[in-house]
Amino acid sequence: MIRKLGCVGAVLGLVLALAAADAPKTDGKDEGIGQSTRVPYQLTETNHFLVRVRLNGKGPFNFLVDSGAPALYIGTEAAAAIGLEASKDDFWTPLKSLEIEGGARLENLKARVEDPFQLVGMNALGLPGASIDGILGFTILARFRLEIDPTDDRMTWTRLDFKPADPPVPSKEDRERAPLEFQLMNALGPVAKGLALFIGKQPAEERSPRGFLGLEWTEPEAGGLEIVRALPGSPADRAGAKPGDRLKRINDEAVKDAETARAALAEVRPGDSVELTVENKSGESRTLTFSAGEGL
Amino acid sequence: MEPTKRTKASPSRRTWLVLAAAALSGLALAQAPVAERGAEKPAKVSFSMLPSNHMLVRAMLNGKGPYRLIFDLGAPITLLSNHAAEESGTVKADAPRSFLFSMRGEAEVAEMRVGELIVKDLPVVVFDHPALKVLGEVLGQPVDGIIGFTFFARYKTTIDYQVDEMTFAPVDFEVRDLMKELPDRLAGPKTARRSVTAPGGLWGLRLGSPEGGLSSPGTPIAEVLAGSPAEAAGLKAGDVLTTIDGRWTTSPDDVHQAAAAVPPGRSVPVGLLRDGRERVVEVRPADGA
Repeated sequence: MIRKLGCVGAVLGLVLALAAADAPKTDGKDEGIGQSTRVPYQLTETNHFLVRVRLNGKGPFNFLVDSGAPALYIGTEAAAAIGLEASKDDFWTPLKSLEIEGGARLENLKARVEDPFQLVGMNALGLPGASIDGILGFTILARFRLEIDPTDDRMTWTRLDFKPADPPVPSKEDRERAPLEFQLMNALGPVAKGLALFIGKQPAEERSPRGFLGLEWTEPEAGGLEIVRALPGSPADRAGAKPGDRLKRINDEAVKDAETARAALAEVRPGDSVELTVENKSGESRTLTFSAGEGL
Repeated sequence: MEPTKRTKASPSRRTWLVLAAAALSGLALAQAPVAERGAEKPAKVSFSMLPSNHMLVRAMLNGKGPYRLIFDLGAPITLLSNHAAEESGTVKADAPRSFLFSMRGEAEVAEMRVGELIVKDLPVVVFDHPALKVLGEVLGQPVDGIIGFTFFARYKTTIDYQVDEMTFAPVDFEVRDLMKELPDRLAGPKTARRSVTAPGGLWGLRLGSPEGGLSSPGTPIAEVLAGSPAEAAGLKAGDVLTTIDGRWTTSPDDVHQAAAAVPPGRSVPVGLLRDGRERVVEVRPADGA
């Protein structure tokens, strides 16, 4: 039975080990204890929580928040990218620092450099909508009090005075003699890679910044939208937009207020042509045509 | 809201396609939950840690049990073993099984009780996951399933490992229905979806290209426009933006994503490197574009 322990890997985030874990030790000297950080996260297409991390000061990398995984897993590609060599003699590879977006920082950690099969599969098919580079499991998550609200775009992580023990290390023999089910499961990652050749990989989303105009505006009490200034040298300035001009139309869409102006510009990319219809204080109407720039 | 009607445990061909793809990709599926508004108050649920470092809760399903379920933030579905699903009446004993892990497909638990929490109409996927089987054998007690995203997407979840307790406060959140989207995406054209990220307000910045690859601390500013909020905050060309309101700005896309979350008129801390030294300034973007 014990033979089955080590071989499970991170199958569905499950690693088994029954050897008695050491009692959790608290070092109590960490400056971060008691501090709360707001952690931005992304919910993937596959309903996984991803946060961004820097490993040994390098990154950022996308890591899965997974209480079902027992430890910190770093995928082999991410490890290679930061020049982290998997320890040859030890199950764990030492990691000097792990920074989590939002401000939390942990030092002197143990990581397992490995490609859990489900990440290989999902990444091969491009399903999550973002590549997943590793897993934050129990030995990382348990150092925090985690507050997760899917209606909030950030989680709150508060450092606890708690240092979880590393999960027991499976013997080399255990790792090599996986039960058949797990050999099959672990073969599925490469199968998904092969499958991706036939059904194709979901391409990553192409994200573009919105094009830049350089206009500051305000909503006067009488209604409508009035230009406060066109920043000097900006595309709108060079096209002749003036303070006091009323913004009437953007690309054939009527402008009633700031919200309708933003909606009319929502799909404008840098380089796209923009047509503004403005009216000065004398009621004279002009049409300004120019290319949206880069910036914000 | 009218609860979504779902045919219980009668997987269609479409379902099998999805489940097979999911099994191969190692991902499991989430289904739209039935939102319950105001029905529940924040509830406490204690858990115990298994020697394998998993969080275990005991749950009553349709009045039967308790069943031993692992609480897994990394699982996109809630999963039940065939045994637990049959005994609790979640699926009928004669429901068809697939060759792969004896999959039964989608079903719904009418009522789950766990700690102080009562959950109604919880979507689950029924199959025998080999990892659970082995875990149960090793522990000497069965593990009957995994509580995943379809469960905790309904709540603001707080997990405190130090006192082995979770709390759940209901929130109103619509779960993406992968069962509907995924087959179309897998079968559909492989064209990238395109999106445009609009900053919330006007900053008055032009960005340069980050240098140093993975060691790059942030995105340099190429130009600060005169009279802009960025200039008023003291930003200068050559400064390297490291954070906006606590979000990393390692690429121009990051800067735009972070700026998209800042509405005009709201002052946010902006971290930057100037001459190798870290500083934080407050920027209040103006209304504009």
